[in-house]
Amino acid sequence: MSGKSNKAFTKEEELLLQDFSRNVSTKSSALFYGNAFIVSAIPIWLFWRVHSLEVNTSLAWFVFVTAISTWLLALAYRNTKFQLKHRVAVRREDAVAREMSRKLADDKKMSRKEKDERILWKKNEVADYEATTFSIFYNNALFLTIVILSSFYLLRSFTPTVNYIVSLTAASGLLALLSTGTK
Amino acid sequence: MVTKYLFTILAIAASTAFAESCQNPQVEAASFTSLDATVVTQIAYITEFTLKCDNPLPANYALYAEVDGKSLTAARIGENKYQVSWTEEPSKARSGVHEVRILDEEGFASLRRARRSDPAAAVAPLLAIQLNHPGSYSGPWVNSEVLATALSVIVAYTALRNKGNILA
Repeated sequence: MSGKSNKAFTKEEELLLQDFSRNVSTKSSALFYGNAFIVSAIPIWLFWRVHSLEVNTSLAWFVFVTAISTWLLALAYRNTKFQLKHRVAVRREDAVAREMSRKLADDKKMSRKEKDERILWKKNEVADYEATTFSIFYNNALFLTIVILSSFYLLRSFTPTVNYIVSLTAASGLLALLSTGTK
Repeated sequence: MVTKYLFTILAIAASTAFAESCQNPQVEAASFTSLDATVVTQIAYITEFTLKCDNPLPANYALYAEVDGKSLTAARIGENKYQVSWTEEPSKARSGVHEVRILDEEGFASLRRARRSDPAAAVAPLLAIQLNHPGSYSGPWVNSEVLATALSVIVAYTALRNKGNILA
């Protein structure tokens, strides 16, 4: 047993590990950062048009807060996705296996091992996709709700600049913090 | 009661007796009321009317108005042209037809006399103008931020519940 663990991972094992690790692919990462940027930039409109925050004087704040919030949100997306992926994989396991078996049933040439690998790969893909999209939806929904609640009610009496900075950093910070929890 | 009647009769008698009061009045009126209460603090009612009488009127023929128990002076803005205007709090401004009862000097004097003994007393006006106020807009029923909050809370609740379902 110990000898086995000392051995370097095979290529397949590494791929499998990568699939279930916290690291995300470049494509997924781009999706996360792109989404996080859009969602972080949307409140600028709210503060500019509704809370009448001067755009020219607070441009530096806009850039700074949007950057921080993008980073924090992307972190929250990643963590939430990691949290969800296992559960989604378990939930979709049977359905994916059934569907893939049906699809591959006609292929007599394919070995059993390869079939299993294909099923595993498909399972991973489905879970990855579902966890990614749900993670984005979940964090966006909570982020915008927290921003709206804090900007309209909690921080109403503060100046728009303070309101903007605190609302956004608090919302994205809270989500990043919550996403690191295990539950 | 008797005195009230007496005053009324006297008023009518007086108004007919004086040659300078308007005979067979005819009126052409235009009116304006504020419709958007979101940008104003008072609802304005303005009515302008041109008075036509059978007999020629003296140069400074004064007219008064009475609306919903309020006494007002009609401003003379031109040849036989008058304007009556007043304002009300938006919360008190009732929509519908407001009757502007125009009185001449004698009519107004008799109204004031009658009011002294009975605050609800009425005197037959020289003419009455119907001013229609369709009601003013005082903002949407639900504020946009309340709506935005409600919608975002519903979406957030859906997200939380779904996450709970997945992790359960």
